[in-house]
Amino acid sequence: MKKLYSNKWIILSLVIPGIITFVFAILTPILLSLYYSLTDFAGIGKANFIGFENYKNLIKDKVFWVSLRNSLFLALGFIFIQHPIAIITAAILDKLQGKAEGFFRTIYFIPNVISVAIIAYLWKFIYNPNFGLLNNILKLFGYTNEINWLGKGMAIWSVIIVLIWHGFGWGMLIYYAGIKNINPILYEVAAIDGADAKTTFLKITLPLMKPVIQVNVTLAIIAALKQMETVYLLTNGGPGNETQFLANYLYKQAFNSFKYGYGNAISVVFIIICLASTIILNKIFSEKEYA
Amino acid sequence: MKKKLLSALIMVMLSISLVACGGNQMNSDSDSTQSQTDNENASEEIITIHVFTGLADRKTGTGLIEEILFEQYMKENPNIKIEVEALDGETYKTKFKAYATSSEMPDLLGVWGQPAFINEIIDAGLLAELNPEDYKDYGFVKGALDGFSKDGKLYGLPRSTDIMGFYYNKAIFEENGWEVPKTYNELIELAGKIREAGLIPVSMDGADKWPLAIYLNDLIAKIDGDNGDKISQSIANGDFSDPTYKKAAELLRKSVEAGLFQNGFETTDYATAFNLFANGQAAMYYMGNWEMSIATNPDVLPEIRENIGVFAMPEVEGGKGKVTDIAAWNGVGYSISANSPVKEEAIKLLNYMMKPENLSKLTWQNGVGMSAQDYSGYLTGDETVPQKIFTNILMEATSITGTPINDLGTSAFKTVCEDLCQELAIGAITPEEFIQKLEEATK
Repeated sequence: MKKLYSNKWIILSLVIPGIITFVFAILTPILLSLYYSLTDFAGIGKANFIGFENYKNLIKDKVFWVSLRNSLFLALGFIFIQHPIAIITAAILDKLQGKAEGFFRTIYFIPNVISVAIIAYLWKFIYNPNFGLLNNILKLFGYTNEINWLGKGMAIWSVIIVLIWHGFGWGMLIYYAGIKNINPILYEVAAIDGADAKTTFLKITLPLMKPVIQVNVTLAIIAALKQMETVYLLTNGGPGNETQFLANYLYKQAFNSFKYGYGNAISVVFIIICLASTIILNKIFSEKEYA
Repeated sequence: MKKKLLSALIMVMLSISLVACGGNQMNSDSDSTQSQTDNENASEEIITIHVFTGLADRKTGTGLIEEILFEQYMKENPNIKIEVEALDGETYKTKFKAYATSSEMPDLLGVWGQPAFINEIIDAGLLAELNPEDYKDYGFVKGALDGFSKDGKLYGLPRSTDIMGFYYNKAIFEENGWEVPKTYNELIELAGKIREAGLIPVSMDGADKWPLAIYLNDLIAKIDGDNGDKISQSIANGDFSDPTYKKAAELLRKSVEAGLFQNGFETTDYATAFNLFANGQAAMYYMGNWEMSIATNPDVLPEIRENIGVFAMPEVEGGKGKVTDIAAWNGVGYSISANSPVKEEAIKLLNYMMKPENLSKLTWQNGVGMSAQDYSGYLTGDETVPQKIFTNILMEATSITGTPINDLGTSAFKTVCEDLCQELAIGAITPEEFIQKLEEATK
């Protein structure tokens, strides 16, 4: 057996499927993207090499910065609104026990099971200023002004609420699994020592959840950066480009405006931002672990 | 141990090579069918023509007419099999571009005979050249083939004549004693009255943005009258300093401020805008003649569909244009993929469809639109009100705008121009900024 593993050919044959997948499915597309981002390729026809022209334009492109800002807003929304609620809900779920636990766990996860397209249209109708559910509810309370939820100035918040609501189930489920993994003896001991629910949550649940939180926050930031389908279906970046997100803007440039090279430049910057934020996050969390 | 592993390895190798063989087999199979279809004497072979169309609704409207013609054609030519892939409007355009990027196009394609859509595709050599001689007796109206031609070569055939207008609900108008507006100011005044009555004056699809661009173009026509190819020139020169543009932009913004469109029109999509009118929540609906089948649409309440009137964009005070200077063009049509393995068969199918007694006649007699061909021979006398009015509008037209402003440039210009029209309408930018950014977009 040992002899077998010291044979280089055997090792190669075992590693090669992984390498091939990586090279052709990940590395080549990224390198191609990098190449096309230096051209004025229009999707069809010939590509002319134009150096860093696309990147220069990108820096001057206001919509790009708006998209980036929106993605960051969304990431902040995930981290400071969605996740705290998700952790608390998960902790409460854990305490519920019995049938109620399963029932609420299912309820909270339902938005994740429904297709994004349906979610988007559902919210489009809820937000509709003329016959939407939200305005009709407000009318019951005496607000007769028809609020244009997806209109100028409001749209980005309305979109972020939908995204937070939609992604809530996933976040919660991961936290819930994390909490379930905490040894119940710890809670028993804490109870004997007279700790109340708040103290147990802060002193036991939260510290032991650190690795889970780390994974979840990283996932949330990446999800925020690559948000596309809900926005595409809900507003397609509109009105104007107010609710534009990076991935959607990339798509719009490449496939609506036929600026394939420019789209690729956005995607390269996009990859860099994703990588950088992952590295920074890992740094932050690992420093904390040593402290 | 070693033996076991070796035999396992051999097993894996064998199965891989088997799969590979299978793959080869399949490849050579499809190769052979392809060469057979290329062959002239393949009459006994089933030839499959892939059709990609932007008419997702195959049960009503022009989609149904396509289906009828395909059925007929397959009956007359038993060796032909037609496979249809249908997607709606914007989704269609997106998938089309995805096809174009991959260079693997279906055989018969729905296209828009407008620079923003067709130029890049023609330049990339993706569309097959058609022989204009074939269509001498097809009765295409003057200028209809222009949008589908480039450098004197023909690359497609138009399916329809598109005219924009206001559909209105005659019952609502009569109940409230409202008159069809003769001037643009009257339209704005009327909008105020309609709002007071608790209705939406004009239902507008602002989320898709292009109706706003066409609306702006319609206003330009009313301000300028027949202005030839002024807009094309402006795009080519990057110069929108002509006062017409600013005036039209101001007028559009003013209309929105006066509440002409529904609240949240900028997020209302095509179907919702249509439904606001079809449900009687809106008194008017600005859309093209391709929606004229609303008058016979069984999904629309009878009291609404039987009371539909149409009027063209009214004259603008102080403008040179008359009500007969209309926003109309020959936009949608068909082309054949240049790399199609069944090109000849696909062209035959196209020629069959476009025969006046086929598409043109069926389109008219089913009340779903107006072809780009002379359909006067197919009048039945039982036409619906929108059919009659749109025909009148076209017959009496003193000038037509041709391809609207958003589709006159590159596809990048189209995206920006449509975005700008929406931003202008909601007041995110001023008319001055609109002009300035429009000029930037041409560069």
